[in-house]
Amino acid sequence: MSQATLYSVSYDLSNTIASALGSVLPSGARDLITSSGVVTGFAVVIFAVIILAATMLNTILLIWWERKLLGRFMDRRGAMHVGFAGLLQNFADGFKLFRKDTVKPREADPLGFYFGPTAYMITSLAIFGILPISSGWDTGALPLTLLLALAIFAFAPLFIFVSAWSSNNKYSLMGGMRSAAQMIAYEVPLLLAVVSVVIVAGSFDLNTIVYEQQNYWFWGPLILALIVFVAAMLAEMERIPFDLPEAEAELVEGWNTEYGGMFFAFFMFTDYLRALVGSVLVVLLFFGGWTLPSWVPSVATSWPLAGIFWFMVKTYIVFGVFVWIRASLPRVRTDQLLRVGWNRMIPLGLVSVFVAALLVVAKCVWPFGCLPTP
Amino acid sequence: MATEITATEKPNQNPILWVARPMATAARQFAKSLFRPSTIVYPYERLEDPEFREKVAVASGKPIGLGQVWDNYRGVHALNIATCISCNLCQFSCPDLCIEMVTVPGGDPKHPKKCPEIDYGKCSYCGFCSDACPEGCLTMTTRYELSVTKRSDMVYSPQRLNEVFKTKLPMNPIRLARPANEDSILLDVPLCIGCNACARDCPTQCITMLDIPKPEAKAGEKIPKRIWKEPVVNDSDCVRCGTCISVCPKECLFWGTRK
Amino acid sequence: MSEMWINMGPQHPMTHGLWNLRVRIDGEVVLDVDPEMGYLHRGIEKISEDRHYNEVVTLMDRTCYVAGLAWEHLYILASEQALHITPPERAQYIRMTCEEFQRIGSHIMWYAAFVNDIGLMTPFLYGMRDRDLVLDLFQSFTGARMTYEYMRVGGVRNDLPPTFTDQARKVLDWLTDRFREYDQLCLGSSIFHKRCDHLGVLKANDCIAHGVTGPMLRSAGVKRDLRKDRPYARYDAVDFDVAVADGADVTARYLVRMEEMRQSIRILRQTVDWLEHHPGPVMAEHLPRWLGAPYAPVGREGYLLKRNYAKGVGFSAVEEPHGEAQAYVVNEGTEHPYRVKFRSPIFANLSAARQYLVGYRVADIPPIMGSVDPCIGEVDR
Repeated sequence: MSQATLYSVSYDLSNTIASALGSVLPSGARDLITSSGVVTGFAVVIFAVIILAATMLNTILLIWWERKLLGRFMDRRGAMHVGFAGLLQNFADGFKLFRKDTVKPREADPLGFYFGPTAYMITSLAIFGILPISSGWDTGALPLTLLLALAIFAFAPLFIFVSAWSSNNKYSLMGGMRSAAQMIAYEVPLLLAVVSVVIVAGSFDLNTIVYEQQNYWFWGPLILALIVFVAAMLAEMERIPFDLPEAEAELVEGWNTEYGGMFFAFFMFTDYLRALVGSVLVVLLFFGGWTLPSWVPSVATSWPLAGIFWFMVKTYIVFGVFVWIRASLPRVRTDQLLRVGWNRMIPLGLVSVFVAALLVVAKCVWPFGCLPTP
Repeated sequence: MATEITATEKPNQNPILWVARPMATAARQFAKSLFRPSTIVYPYERLEDPEFREKVAVASGKPIGLGQVWDNYRGVHALNIATCISCNLCQFSCPDLCIEMVTVPGGDPKHPKKCPEIDYGKCSYCGFCSDACPEGCLTMTTRYELSVTKRSDMVYSPQRLNEVFKTKLPMNPIRLARPANEDSILLDVPLCIGCNACARDCPTQCITMLDIPKPEAKAGEKIPKRIWKEPVVNDSDCVRCGTCISVCPKECLFWGTRK
Repeated sequence: MSEMWINMGPQHPMTHGLWNLRVRIDGEVVLDVDPEMGYLHRGIEKISEDRHYNEVVTLMDRTCYVAGLAWEHLYILASEQALHITPPERAQYIRMTCEEFQRIGSHIMWYAAFVNDIGLMTPFLYGMRDRDLVLDLFQSFTGARMTYEYMRVGGVRNDLPPTFTDQARKVLDWLTDRFREYDQLCLGSSIFHKRCDHLGVLKANDCIAHGVTGPMLRSAGVKRDLRKDRPYARYDAVDFDVAVADGADVTARYLVRMEEMRQSIRILRQTVDWLEHHPGPVMAEHLPRWLGAPYAPVGREGYLLKRNYAKGVGFSAVEEPHGEAQAYVVNEGTEHPYRVKFRSPIFANLSAARQYLVGYRVADIPPIMGSVDPCIGEVDR
């Protein structure tokens, strides 16, 4: 059996549905249904639905994972009543928010108020269309997936600021300004860390980057880049210790103060969506994606969908580290955050670029090994 | 300017690697509470359940290994209607005015039996009423779950309090000892008209109306028009509720130290 | 962005209670603040005038809901002075034990809330977990977890249960270890130092000028503690040090409060030992009858129609967890206090807000206000 890929699965499903429909329809319609154009169209829809469903499910699972982990760090239990071990609690919360009314302040700008959260969520969801999760499980054919993902990722401050400003609330405005300042400041170190990975891997294609990590994962030699990337990612995800745009102690809820109901759910959901993107990127760039080190027995990887499984395990462990950081660190202040960003993270990022260049020149580094020869 | 503190135990907690210490602490707690966090899963596990207290050891500490004493707990009241003497002391002692004395079946028509009805919407669980109860029939139990859907359900009738009594929950054993120099009911003899109001309303029937000799009328002196009886209080039976003082039409009874 | 006023309160996560801090900001910098209190006024002092001396104790628990026993102690000391009653020594030791445990409970509550203000939620749950042990102890002898109603004029309501001393020692051992953990989570983190060092500085002169007391005053280097300077109960018989720090900033207040908890443990070990070896009565023997139990109401003057009790005036000052609380009780010879007046330490501490908030940033307001440890129940009474 050839290895299943996202394309093959979508096409197979589409073909099956088309032929099943065709068998009960008259011949004219059958020809239309089973024509290659319609089947491809079906396949694209199925493709999108699979990605969307998987993303949503994973995000909701991620929230559950954070609640349970954070609970243990705090000596409590986390969600535990709805479903097994509280797995369905987030669905219940989502339904509750769905049923609630979204109250728009009278002076708020309706266009920005409703457009902001929606665009925030849609753009963040779009990233998952291009992230590979296993060999073959991606859209493929895009040589610049990493660049595109980061470009879409960088849209967020715009929408946050739009929704914050149109809320017509002082807390929202301050939160939005903080958010914009923070995200723009940390975009630079983030890209520097990514650049060092790209220099070593020699490609912007995430598949290639993962392929280049077959001998050693990049986190070892590029530990500086990893630190810069994780710190910048924490700031981009607005998680503690860098969650000051929504610092609930002074700004009530930051830029989403005025939101309730489904639009608030959009914000919360997208925050975790972005956390998922961050974890996935860390795994892809530094922890070998879906591959395992060569000393792992092949039993672990020989079964179908093993790549996806190990990829998810790594992603959840990386997110667990984010939760660990959240559980143990207080929040920093805006000026401190920006100072750390410009004065520490950017120099560190530059150093890591230099290290990456050395790595490419040296080819082989003890104790990690050599880069694969093209 | 370094912050110095006079300390018995110098907090030697300077940061290591910026954030290594707190992260290590959180990780240690994570490992400890991996299997049994300190949370007590309330509706299923109850602290007042002694079996649970002894059985479950919380991994990350021993908050429930301590074994609280629940005997003193001031929860919902339990009322033993049978021994209630309708002395009203609980009502008088209530700082929130949440106790009302209502008639319950069982008394004779002349002296209807009145027992406390408690409005838990107002009650502050201070325990003054159960401290004051001279017969020990109004106590407080370990029951603390009171959620109801109607406000009128917050009012517990004497019968309902009696139901609580029948559950035999641990009950607050603390009775305030009577002060050694306790006052007694004294009589201002010249004022008394022998009307029997005090003896009639005394919840413990400790007041007896004794006949006193009717004085002979001297010349030019008018004998007061009254019943020639006088209340005598049995101090050992008296619960010092003061009902007699409050019903006395002539204000001839008062608190004081018996010579 | 031009200057603007924002309201932090009365419904705002920064205010631990019902009060309003109006802040004038320019960008992130605080230009002016205007604390507004009074949202939680319940007229406790006036209600007290209509209650018996012992019934006022129920209000004292509601005055400050995290330090109920300290406020009961305060009121009871003043009333006893007004009524010319001396409590037995065991009752005094029990009251000291209560107050010190209450200090630990209150400071843990402060720790939980304060650290939550700077964005760290884990210690909040650790703090609440450990405070529960103190509440369990209170429950074992008072019968309630928050509104204790335990002290009475002339003593305390009931004696301690026989298991108390063992349990108290267990709790003290447990807390000693936990306080190290608390320090690791806060002092061991460089982010905590970044957030709290040199923040909200209120120098000793300003403290004294504004009547600021308690840990805030001691963090400025002033060695003043009523338990040492004006001993009440039996504080002259126990051995402890006053926690003093210089620095006058948020970190110094943190250090002072943590050290106070350690000193409380030290005091408690002594009082628990004493209580174990000195059984005795917990109520004064010669009390007016009307203090012990209720009676049927008779007229306005009631009980005292035909009796005259000694008049008197009582004043007490107690080192409450938040600062120096004072009470003034006037006894006009009736069974109700004629006048009851309290001095809340936090009212003064909050009123000086302009001194320690202006010039810092908006993000600094929660840690600074958290380090003041406001309890609005006692501010507004």
